[in-house]
Amino acid sequence: MNVDELVRDALREQAAEQAPAGAGLADRVLAVRRRRRTRRIAALAAATVAVVAVAVAVPVLDSDRGNDVRPADVVPKTEVTAHPDQSPPRDLIAAGNTALAAYYIPKTVKKTSDTAVYQRTYWLLNQKTGTYEKTTKWSWVAVAPGMKTAAVLEQDLPASRIGLLDLTTGKVERWIPVDHGVGGLAFSRDGSKLVATTYGENPDLRVKMEGSDGWDQKQPSSRTGFHVLDVASGKGSWSEVALGSENDPDEPMGGGFLNSRQDFALTGDGTHVWAGHPMGDIGKQFFDLSGAEVSVPAKDKYLEWYVEAGKSPDGRLVAGQFAGEKWKTSSWVVDAVTGKRTEVHGQQLLAWVGNSSLVAWDIAKGGKNEFHQRLVLVTIGSDKIVPLSDFRKGSDGDAGRWEPVFAER
Amino acid sequence: MNAERLDSFREFVDTRSSALLKTAVLLCGGDQHAGEDLLQTALVKAAGRWQRIDEPEAYVRRILYRQQVSRWRLKWRRREVSVAEPPEAGTGVADAAAAAELRLVMREALSRLTARQRTVLVLRYFEDLPEADVARLLGCTVGTVRSTTHRSLARLRSLAPELAALGPADAERRSAPDYAPVEVRP
Repeated sequence: MNVDELVRDALREQAAEQAPAGAGLADRVLAVRRRRRTRRIAALAAATVAVVAVAVAVPVLDSDRGNDVRPADVVPKTEVTAHPDQSPPRDLIAAGNTALAAYYIPKTVKKTSDTAVYQRTYWLLNQKTGTYEKTTKWSWVAVAPGMKTAAVLEQDLPASRIGLLDLTTGKVERWIPVDHGVGGLAFSRDGSKLVATTYGENPDLRVKMEGSDGWDQKQPSSRTGFHVLDVASGKGSWSEVALGSENDPDEPMGGGFLNSRQDFALTGDGTHVWAGHPMGDIGKQFFDLSGAEVSVPAKDKYLEWYVEAGKSPDGRLVAGQFAGEKWKTSSWVVDAVTGKRTEVHGQQLLAWVGNSSLVAWDIAKGGKNEFHQRLVLVTIGSDKIVPLSDFRKGSDGDAGRWEPVFAER
Repeated sequence: MNAERLDSFREFVDTRSSALLKTAVLLCGGDQHAGEDLLQTALVKAAGRWQRIDEPEAYVRRILYRQQVSRWRLKWRRREVSVAEPPEAGTGVADAAAAAELRLVMREALSRLTARQRTVLVLRYFEDLPEADVARLLGCTVGTVRSTTHRSLARLRSLAPELAALGPADAERRSAPDYAPVEVRP
């Protein structure tokens, strides 16, 4: 007997012994959809953290610096500042022009017997001392490239105003009032525009579902649309993005599931607004700046909403999902035009450092726990892995796990 | 989704879920719970697109295979699978008993492959699909299917020395210079 014949026989024998599927599977599947308890799907390729769609990479410098919130003395930086003994970090972590501008530690805080809020406590980099300092003022922080300015939201979401925080003084320089409540913010790559995702209620609200021990996202999502704002003037427009009938909770076969927080971001060139659409045909949706839905721009078709690093600064490569072929933990980097995939070290790609390196979460070589990750610097075509922080403890969702926020420095 | 579509979804699940579950459990290395999870997740996805799916079974199977190989976490979260203790080998054991024992050994070894390795073997030897079809389903090249098959069989032999006496499979006889690197779990 050959080994393949035995494989075949063993598989067939095992299949023959298999008990039939239990009754009621169709109802269970439909119930899952009805209750939109599909976090597992939304989180298939990523940890169940919210997407922090801050601008993360080195921008193409805009000749018109009138609207540029970056300091004038930005010069390319090449050095790596690592603290492989710190988790969460106390002192600045950076690689090249990309710095850990902040991090947050989320906690699900019970509000009533059946509601809670997934709350972020931020630690922002004090640029004078080079250390991270805790602040409880903000529910959301997006750091602009240059790390001079952050856009912030106060604690009760959705917020009716956006603060522009001066990161050198720690003071809010300006408030931008908005007529639709905002739950999330992301800068354009050049820092001149801000996209603010609007929600009818707090997107971080958690509820107790019948038959569930833990906290679930509230469904359907209350997302209403987005503002695109000019940072310098504070002016902009709001566009409604309807969830559509597919998101009707009474519609058991609807394909329009959205996470309760499904924030918008600007594409690398700032010409489109996009967001993940986990159950949609291509998993994402694109809009022009006036809010009209458009088909996916050719150069953005490989973007994945749950891969924080997004596109490389030169727009040629897109950070992709987990690969795990060549190495136990690795990810794909995808050619934005051809779709050709290259495997790079790193379990989860977080931010580009130039056009060929990335900051990623990764486990130790031979590590057994997929959640014990540290920040590392990896480079396409290189086996070198440079640790930047110490390992995170606990499992996904455990208290005390920190989540990074990167920005161009 | 109208009542007609809803009925067609229910009918599909009622008539095909037992067969699909067999595949799902094999993909998960014999772990019944993981197989049920995998199938349920695939059906939830399919339900979302029911109106647009022409060939439901092919669609659900494709989700099963791809999901399994992309859900790398399962590689580590795999629960221990209990396999009946193989009987003591010895002289005088009837051929049938020896063959049954080998199948149990093989089953245990299969459960210890990576999800990707196991998926390729299930597609090749349980579903009897040609290499080109496996490549299309998994979104990889025929060369990768070949190399994964070859390495998976080699891995089975290393996991279970009892299999050493077996003859080589066709896939092992063929030289394959285009072997892509494949994860081999220690």
